[in-house]
Amino acid sequence: MSASDRRVREVFIELSDTLVDDFDIIEFLDRLAARCSELLGVSACGILLADHHGVLSLVAASSEQARLVELGQLQNLEGPCMDAFSTGRPVQVGDLRDARTRWPRFAATAVGAGYLSVQALPMRLRDSVLGAVNLFSRSTGELDAETVRLGQALADAATIGIVHQRALARKEVVTEQLQSALNSRILIEQAKGFLSHGLGVDVDEAFAMMRSYARAHNRRLTEVADEIVQGTLTLSRSRD
Amino acid sequence: MDHDRSARVWGAIRAASGGNGAAPSLAYAVSACAQALSAAGAGLAMARDDGLLEPVLATGPEIGELDELQFELGEGPSRDAVVTSTPVLEPDLTGLEAGRRWPAFAAAAADRGIRGVFALPVAAGAAKVGVLTVYRRVPGPLAGDLLADALVFADAVFVLALDHRQGISADLDEVIEAAFTARRAEVHQAAGRLAAQQQISVTDALARLRAHAYSSGISLHKVAVDVMSDHLRLDGDRPLGKGPPRITPRPAHPEQAEKEEEED
Repeated sequence: MSASDRRVREVFIELSDTLVDDFDIIEFLDRLAARCSELLGVSACGILLADHHGVLSLVAASSEQARLVELGQLQNLEGPCMDAFSTGRPVQVGDLRDARTRWPRFAATAVGAGYLSVQALPMRLRDSVLGAVNLFSRSTGELDAETVRLGQALADAATIGIVHQRALARKEVVTEQLQSALNSRILIEQAKGFLSHGLGVDVDEAFAMMRSYARAHNRRLTEVADEIVQGTLTLSRSRD
Repeated sequence: MDHDRSARVWGAIRAASGGNGAAPSLAYAVSACAQALSAAGAGLAMARDDGLLEPVLATGPEIGELDELQFELGEGPSRDAVVTSTPVLEPDLTGLEAGRRWPAFAAAAADRGIRGVFALPVAAGAAKVGVLTVYRRVPGPLAGDLLADALVFADAVFVLALDHRQGISADLDEVIEAAFTARRAEVHQAAGRLAAQQQISVTDALARLRAHAYSSGISLHKVAVDVMSDHLRLDGDRPLGKGPPRITPRPAHPEQAEKEEEED
């Protein structure tokens, strides 16, 4: 279940190396979500941020499945993420089948997608909460205390990414960064839709193609998305 | 979902529009925003078809001049907000940082007694409509809820501007309903798909999705889901602003008469 200390160190070094000037926040959070599910031994990890309407949106995930987006959106009605966000405390559900009265729609959708347990960790910054990290497992059971501590450290790393390493960032700066991350995500959704038509692929595949292109050419994901919707960059289907 | 904040903001716009009945307009939204934030005034600059920004609305001549000045000088918070697609929140123009960032603009605005400038993009991803700029005489940040309120005003201006493009003046309740769903992933995916299908901008695609939702009475979210699954194609053979586009429903699964499921 738990990762080796060495691997944990490697991941934190990798993440801090990513936090250079002008880094792409979505790319950073995406990488963090992938490392989260690896280190914590969970099946999927989603990172949700709250906007000025108090609405949570999925901005990054370990696997870009439409189901995870749907689960994120559902949580504006009910679910562990909304609870973690509103209370600022972690929420653990060892067996989602027992949570059908607590969150009828969320539990049914999550179980339908093959997830049996879920943890939500708040993204805290001083006295406010910016969002939450959602951990889904295909097996039942709660995470042990040590794994939750590591998860919270990773959630804090996500928060640091958003405030741009400025530990004492003013509220304005935090708002600016948060808005920037949410807006980048909207741009990525638009580019996914744009590609889905041009290449005849579904949105999950469209995202994968965008990300591979960005990584292969060492480009920022957000810039690639922008060029796709402006029509200045055309991706072609790889035939492998 | 903080319905209270949205309700408060749209309520202020409704009040500025002269109470019930009148369709909310951009000008009223901008003046309601200035009033709600105890500002000296607010201005709106919008992107023209060639992408250049021009100031189009201001709560008074002095504010209009400040908006113009930013674009003449080629520097200022509004321009930066547009370029970065990120709010630029400057609590004090007489501070060092502001002086370094916008030397000419900061000095000129401070001369006119303006201390705080808050520039909010009127945009969603690639759909860049313009920028809403709030000017205050009192230095200091937008305290408490005011910052979030300002962002909600910018959202309100965004949807009003989109609807204005399509020549729609919907009643306020419809606008609010569509504003809530506007942030959902599927809506933006559908805007991207429609832009690619019809070779139009994402802004126009988003405006068309909203227009179709109004004219058909189907929720914006459902329209988006139908566009993504090719159950609905919005034909783009009509010029903009001439009423809703023609609709060609393509019942891929006629037996599947889907029930509306709104989650907002």
